[in-house]
Amino acid sequence: MNRPRYKTGITLASALLLAMSISACGAENSANKGGAATEGSGNAAAPAAKAPVKISYLTFRVGTHASAKMEEEQIKQFNAKYGNEVEVVVEEIPSDAAYVDKIKILAASGDVPDVVMGKDGINDVLIKGNLATPFNEYLDKDAEWKAAIGEDALASNTRDGKVWAISDQKQNIGYFYNKDMFDQTGIKPAETWDEFMSNNEKLKAAGFVPLALMTGENAWTSNLILAARIGTNGENGKTFMNTLHPTDFNTPEMIQALNMMKELLEKYTTKDALGAGYANAANAFSQGKAAMIANGPWMIGDFSDPTKSSEGFDKKVGVAAYPNNSLISTYEVGYMIGAKTPETRDAAEKFIKFKTGLEGQTLALEYGNVMPVSSEVQPSDALKQKYPIMVESITVAQKTQLHYRTLDSIVYPNVTDAWKNLYPKLVAGKATAEDIAKELTEIAAKNK
Amino acid sequence: MVRKNRGYITLFLLPTVLLFILVYAVSLVMLFGTSFTEWSAGRSPVFIGLTNYIKLFTDDADFRQSALNTGIWVVLQSTIHVAIGTLFAIILSMKEFYWKFARTVYMFPNIISGAAVGMLFLCMLNPDFGAVNSIARLFGNADYSQNWFMDYATAFFSVTMTWLPYAAVVTILILAEIAAIPESLYESARIDGASTLKINLYIVIPMLRNIIGTCVILSGTSMLQKMDIILMTTGGGPGNETMNLPIYIYKTALMDNNFGYSNSVGVFLIGFGLIFVLLCRNLFRIGSSQN
Repeated sequence: MNRPRYKTGITLASALLLAMSISACGAENSANKGGAATEGSGNAAAPAAKAPVKISYLTFRVGTHASAKMEEEQIKQFNAKYGNEVEVVVEEIPSDAAYVDKIKILAASGDVPDVVMGKDGINDVLIKGNLATPFNEYLDKDAEWKAAIGEDALASNTRDGKVWAISDQKQNIGYFYNKDMFDQTGIKPAETWDEFMSNNEKLKAAGFVPLALMTGENAWTSNLILAARIGTNGENGKTFMNTLHPTDFNTPEMIQALNMMKELLEKYTTKDALGAGYANAANAFSQGKAAMIANGPWMIGDFSDPTKSSEGFDKKVGVAAYPNNSLISTYEVGYMIGAKTPETRDAAEKFIKFKTGLEGQTLALEYGNVMPVSSEVQPSDALKQKYPIMVESITVAQKTQLHYRTLDSIVYPNVTDAWKNLYPKLVAGKATAEDIAKELTEIAAKNK
Repeated sequence: MVRKNRGYITLFLLPTVLLFILVYAVSLVMLFGTSFTEWSAGRSPVFIGLTNYIKLFTDDADFRQSALNTGIWVVLQSTIHVAIGTLFAIILSMKEFYWKFARTVYMFPNIISGAAVGMLFLCMLNPDFGAVNSIARLFGNADYSQNWFMDYATAFFSVTMTWLPYAAVVTILILAEIAAIPESLYESARIDGASTLKINLYIVIPMLRNIIGTCVILSGTSMLQKMDIILMTTGGGPGNETMNLPIYIYKTALMDNNFGYSNSVGVFLIGFGLIFVLLCRNLFRIGSSQN
């Protein structure tokens, strides 16, 4: 007799629970939507007009990332200055690769964050998908900001007259070397590629591992040397390394450079270089196991970090340009506006302007050893004292005459992703340099 | 009775059905639909008919290698992996003094995330400081160094060994099923003079047909999603030696920015999985009585 009542009771309770949970979800959604609507349209109402505009911002510069401190400080100081106008809703992403994947997936659904970092092909996706707002109008209204970024940095992000991103840093990349090892071997930084190879041989003969290379992830430290070899190989090489999205890799310069990389990976690097990640290569250099590593100035802090290097290691490190008095010099893509409403676009622009203006560049230099795009921003005396190699780095950059970009900044993302599979193939002898060059061309053609 | 409860049945099934429709069915329809399009991030899909499928089956060596590797791993996982788990379960079911300890220890690799397992093996097999090479150096050439994950001769084997022997889930499921076998059957067999081996071969294993079939499906289909460990260790390399379909989907979608083509690979993967499940169901007659 009681059973049906019991059943009915359970059913009603379950239905109620379900209805509540569904309505709760709906309420949350509608609250969010309402919130967004209020922000967007609420400017008409007096109280809402004062509420800060919320903008979404995803960042991978968190945790142990080299630029985490810089990011934290920039956001903190932006909030202190503009917190009553703009609220930056930060979502932390654990790695660069996860960030790129997430933004591309969001772009596929047409829903990108209000402020986006355009690295690794994200800029192309956003531009092609009409998901970004150009900065031209904003820059025209603010000559001071435009000057702080500079013509060259703006030009690097300009397509068909539209400035799609604002670069926040210039990458001047040579290589670091262990002065003790060089002194013991009786060598100095190479001025030609023949001398470079000869140095490797001498270091090896003296019992040192010459190079900290890696082919995993984006093969960063290896590809910097590859880029330098291509970029210094005549006018064609220089042109290739300064061309956005090259489609033909089947060039004599690329083939020569790949052959050199094969030799370096076979003879002059650590045993784990094939398949190793950046951390392995960085450790090999910072722990005094390898004599050279190609990398940018953001690594300088690691040399005096006791968790990464032995005490006094920073005193042993020198910095050099690549042979032929050349240097990798490129502008980071920087920040893009993905916001959709006029209010959020303006708020996103305010945030980007802060990060890329003189104040933001100064913070980036002081907290992240990031080279500014403006010549007005100079390292403080405290920074110079703390990191003398930073000054050396700037001096080396100023002396170089031949400049070219990183491979990552010119090739399509699928080419960047392919190195980790192609280098082992080259070294194993499963493919020649010519085969790899052909394969790279085919991979580039697959990019949509 | 069924008719009387039809309302309740419908009511209680409704949330699941709705969730399935919203989460899976809609996605599946979109996946299938967009596999006939040219579609990249930020742009609208454009219908191109069977072009993606024609290219997939006639002009894509990476896809063929990925499909082959996936197939091999499915076969290995649904045979050797399940056999290891079953054997371990039968040994544990004898409940010797070590059985609880062994069961717990064997579970460890299954409670660690795939990414962490990948990192663990990356360190263990590192050519420079890895434990495996260090041990080999102790017993042989002091200069011995093997790049397990990047050498063509060892890459596939090394990646496979990061999951193949760790069959704790199979063991637990089978152990539970063994516990449900009536004691009277064992007693009858012993009275008839059957040895432990014969009892296991002719009574226990046949009685496990349903659960072994389930384990084969679970283990085999897990290889259709395997991605994290491969990405952490080899990234599909050297060359495309350890590339599988999930990684190929990831690369075509997020690196080539070719979502339409990637979805056609996805459709193939789902079809592959469905055929595998149907084959296993028929092979093991899953759901039918043990008799």
